[in-house]
Amino acid sequence: MKTEFTFSSFALRNVKRKPLRTVILIIAIALLVSALVFSLSFVRRVSSSIRLASERLGADILVVPAGSRGFAEDVLLENKAKSFYMDKGIINKLKAIQGIDSLTYQTYLTTMQGKCCDVPETVVVAFNQDTDFIIKPWLTEKFGRKLQKGEALVGNESAFNIRVGLVEVDSVLFGNIFKMVGILDKTGTGLDNALFIDDGNLEDIMRKGKTDLKPGQVSIVFVRVKKGLDPYKIAGEIEDSFVEVDTMARKDIGKSIITTLRDINYIFIFTMSLICFLSGFLTWAIFSAIANERAREVGIMRAVGAKESHIISVFLLEVIIVGSIGSSIGILCGTSLSILLAKTFSIMKNLPLHFSIAERIIIACIGFLIGNAVCIAGALSPIQKIKKMEPLMAIKKE
Amino acid sequence: MAQIEVRELTKIYAVGDQNITAVDSVSLAIDKGEFVSVVGHSGSGKTTLLSIIGGIMKPTSGQVLFEGQDICTFDDDRLSEYRNEKIGFMFQFSSLLPMLTARENVMLPGLFRKTKGAGDPGTATELLNMVGIGDKCDTYPSQLSGGQQRRVAIARALMYDPRVILADEPTGDLDEETENDIMQLFRRLNREKQITFIFITHNRELAGMAQRTLRMTRGNLREA
Repeated sequence: MKTEFTFSSFALRNVKRKPLRTVILIIAIALLVSALVFSLSFVRRVSSSIRLASERLGADILVVPAGSRGFAEDVLLENKAKSFYMDKGIINKLKAIQGIDSLTYQTYLTTMQGKCCDVPETVVVAFNQDTDFIIKPWLTEKFGRKLQKGEALVGNESAFNIRVGLVEVDSVLFGNIFKMVGILDKTGTGLDNALFIDDGNLEDIMRKGKTDLKPGQVSIVFVRVKKGLDPYKIAGEIEDSFVEVDTMARKDIGKSIITTLRDINYIFIFTMSLICFLSGFLTWAIFSAIANERAREVGIMRAVGAKESHIISVFLLEVIIVGSIGSSIGILCGTSLSILLAKTFSIMKNLPLHFSIAERIIIACIGFLIGNAVCIAGALSPIQKIKKMEPLMAIKKE
Repeated sequence: MAQIEVRELTKIYAVGDQNITAVDSVSLAIDKGEFVSVVGHSGSGKTTLLSIIGGIMKPTSGQVLFEGQDICTFDDDRLSEYRNEKIGFMFQFSSLLPMLTARENVMLPGLFRKTKGAGDPGTATELLNMVGIGDKCDTYPSQLSGGQQRRVAIARALMYDPRVILADEPTGDLDEETENDIMQLFRRLNREKQITFIFITHNRELAGMAQRTLRMTRGNLREA
């Protein structure tokens, strides 16, 4: 026996009265929220990856061969296999610049499966263990010694690719056999997909002739400036002094991508605004029709004692029920889309950062709130109109 | 002191460029427990007068004093409470909500009370029994006949022991037998519970059952 009914059950019954209309509204809100969650995930993932990468590099300035800024970003942010070189002599020249605290360098080699190596295409980073401050923080505690010749470390993501989760596995790199002896902690940068060797191995690698690296070349120099000094000023000084190099301050890493991303962001915002407007308009149209249809019922409710606030509550509950169902479906679709489509967008495919559950929940909450807000905004005007009608006028309205 | 006192009540409707005076300076006093009928031609202002007394319409000017308080000065919340607690309405048409069962329709005014929940289903069932449709408690309005719907509306009007019942042609469209049953019920409630009844009717016979009959003519009211 159905005896107890409340505002919520009352609203729920109203929602069920015209299923087709309710479903149309739910689909509209679901599409809105789905697009919103997808675009938020996209923008946030790309921008967070870039920010994280620059924050975690541990250097204030990057020095690269002139014209190679983009290549360096490709390697560091997306692990795109790129090689670029400059004369190693730059290291001594840089030491002469005032304000530099410490520096280290790396040399990047690109593997090609089947030609030189038996690992999938990736970047091999040769680094100097004596001066290094980039890789060291990510060495797991278990690996408490220096890398020896013929030994390599594996980036956190690459570990899966070459199945070294099983620890010591031998791989051929540039004609030399390397023993994979450890896995780096997750850095959240492109380095997670790389392999790491001591730069003492480079001589043997060049001897085999399976790389275009020449003796006395390095790819990148990482510079730390003395505390309190402006990295931009020192970067400018380096560029003025040495025409053969370009510099990037840490905060500028990924700047070109961020600029492109900002444009994409604007397009997203514009598209989302349009979708919000359309969804709001649809909600307004549907609730205007509902308000007209139910004018007499509202009049009757008012006649038996419903206050204006009661009428608002009933209608708002209906809006929130529809908005919540639509938003929840939208969140599911949007999240699934962002996971599935991430594999088809090259910019996202190589991004190291994956969302944590908390971040996904935040994006879902934003989607849920906006979905409901659009619904409420659209329905507000018809609700205001109907609650203001004199009960008798509402009752007489056919 | 009269339970209901109407002073110089006027209601003017603006219809296009024209102003139509539905109620014209009407004054009236009704005591507690009176059984009053209002007669008059269509468009004479009967429904408007009843609606203003019931607080579902604002007058253009004048006062409606209920137990000494002018309801025309009430804000929306207070006026709603007045309708909810003091008045029981019966309209000349079906006034049930289609998605609620007969019992839920009877309990509806309770949904808008300060107390949580929609009231006591047991009382609603008793009232439906009293109006003769106790077997239709869980039936939806679309499955009820016109007469049964009226009976549900009567039960709803009685649900929270109102002081006054305002009925606008409560037996219109009903067969003679049902009409008689309903009027007998009104009389009984009036006698037993001292509920004041003001009902509009076109039926002289029904009007004659009242202690007092008022006649509306072109917005003016006089004792018949």
